[in-house]
Amino acid sequence: MTNQNQNSGQAQRGQLAASFRDPSGFLFSQGGVLYRQVNRSYAQEYAHLMESGLYERLVKAGLLIPHVEVDELPGDYESAYEIIQPERVSFISYPYEWSFGQLKDAALATLSIQRRALKAGMSLKDASAYNIQFVRGKATLIDTLSFEVYKEGQPWVAYRQFCQHFLAPLALMALRDVRLNQLLRVYIDGVPLDLASELLPFKTRFNFGLLTNIHLHASAQKRYAGTDVKARAGTMSKQALTGLIDSLSSAIRKLNWNPGGTEWGNYYDITNYSEAAFGHKKELVREWSARAKPALVWDLGANTGVFSRAAGETGAYVVSSDIDPAAVEQNYRQMKGEKSENILPLLLDLTNPSPSIGWANQERDSFGARGPADMVLALALVHHLAISNNVPLPQLADFFAKLGKWLVIEFVPKSDSQVQKLLVSREDIFPNYTREGFESAFKQRFKICEAVNVHESERVLYLMEGH
Amino acid sequence: MHFAPLPYLDPGSGSFLIQLLIAALLGLGVAVRASWGTIKKWFGAKPKADEEDDEPESK
Repeated sequence: MTNQNQNSGQAQRGQLAASFRDPSGFLFSQGGVLYRQVNRSYAQEYAHLMESGLYERLVKAGLLIPHVEVDELPGDYESAYEIIQPERVSFISYPYEWSFGQLKDAALATLSIQRRALKAGMSLKDASAYNIQFVRGKATLIDTLSFEVYKEGQPWVAYRQFCQHFLAPLALMALRDVRLNQLLRVYIDGVPLDLASELLPFKTRFNFGLLTNIHLHASAQKRYAGTDVKARAGTMSKQALTGLIDSLSSAIRKLNWNPGGTEWGNYYDITNYSEAAFGHKKELVREWSARAKPALVWDLGANTGVFSRAAGETGAYVVSSDIDPAAVEQNYRQMKGEKSENILPLLLDLTNPSPSIGWANQERDSFGARGPADMVLALALVHHLAISNNVPLPQLADFFAKLGKWLVIEFVPKSDSQVQKLLVSREDIFPNYTREGFESAFKQRFKICEAVNVHESERVLYLMEGH
Repeated sequence: MHFAPLPYLDPGSGSFLIQLLIAALLGLGVAVRASWGTIKKWFGAKPKADEEDDEPESK
């Protein structure tokens, strides 16, 4: 079959832009359901994965997305060996939106998968962080076609990708600055190793894992670039390969970062509202969530996710996002401790949300394109957007209207001491920032269903439904 | 030092070689540790039970 035919067939079935690179198969959606085609060229690998017991072991360990094989599907499948329907992931997130702990767990999951694969005579041909998603709270491989049959003597083809996608950003976050995970937003195939080598502190040259896998690795890339070494360099035994995986794993485990000392790390200790106000807010969120029955909630400015959990009690999947790496890390650790399956902590700057990136700007979706949500929570958030970031209220209403159908939003008046703090260093150029101004702006896009004064505070909590 | 991208140069060769180097160094470590066990045995130390083969579940 020619490429052209194959491509036209793929286009008809709504092939997803993110999966164009893989010759083993591709994702497509039909009738709102997501499928993955396994190409004939990948038949041997797929059969090995399923028959060796590797698939079952990985799924059981929560390391690989489960799928079912689809027998009948209309269409032209000359290139198809099998069509599978993977379990749908509630929300796709990207490594530049993960906290340190999330990226670390994704790295360890990848190595754990590789170790199990080697035992079953297979090896990962990709170690892309984008192939990992959080499913039921666990880092899980979602690309079923990432495995190849292992040939004795071959090195790990995904080694460089693993270093760029996981080891380098984790080392930079732990040992230089946690915000350097944002390099992943610029470098879609991971942090270039020469850049990581330059940015890491000098002392990392005395750490065996980082010396070899980053510093020497970067030098070797430069020194041997373009030389054909494969013919004369010899081979790598399976034992040596396992040793390499173990050493990467130990290098990753040694990297740590603890939240604290950042913007909002102890936010709830410095808020100005009482326990009664806090409890009342939680109660309202719980009640309104039960009323709107959302399947997907986006809690924006979630801090450590207290209200996300209140909204999640009704069974909704809650994306719990915040701008502060420390809050997201705490949220993630708490989520793991509770073994929550429906909370996804996420690092997100609402004043500059994740854009769509990659080839033709279609490989990774923007934050907005991954919606809309059924319900959006915007608690103690509006004053930051309207006053600190100067967004006019009508534009805020437009923004929220695009994100979701239901909106639970808190209005924090100018007289509130937290707002006064924001106004200390800037001129008050916000004459419309009043309860009346807020309501009239949001009424353009929403029906105001409820407006409740929060106990023991000057704040108002609203439940709104989009027109 | 140059910072220009090198469009025709594949960094794959270096990544290949460094894996062999690390494997060699790790192999050396394993060999030393293995012989250390033998040396200790000569002096009457009891051999340790084999370490857990299966890795812990990822958290």
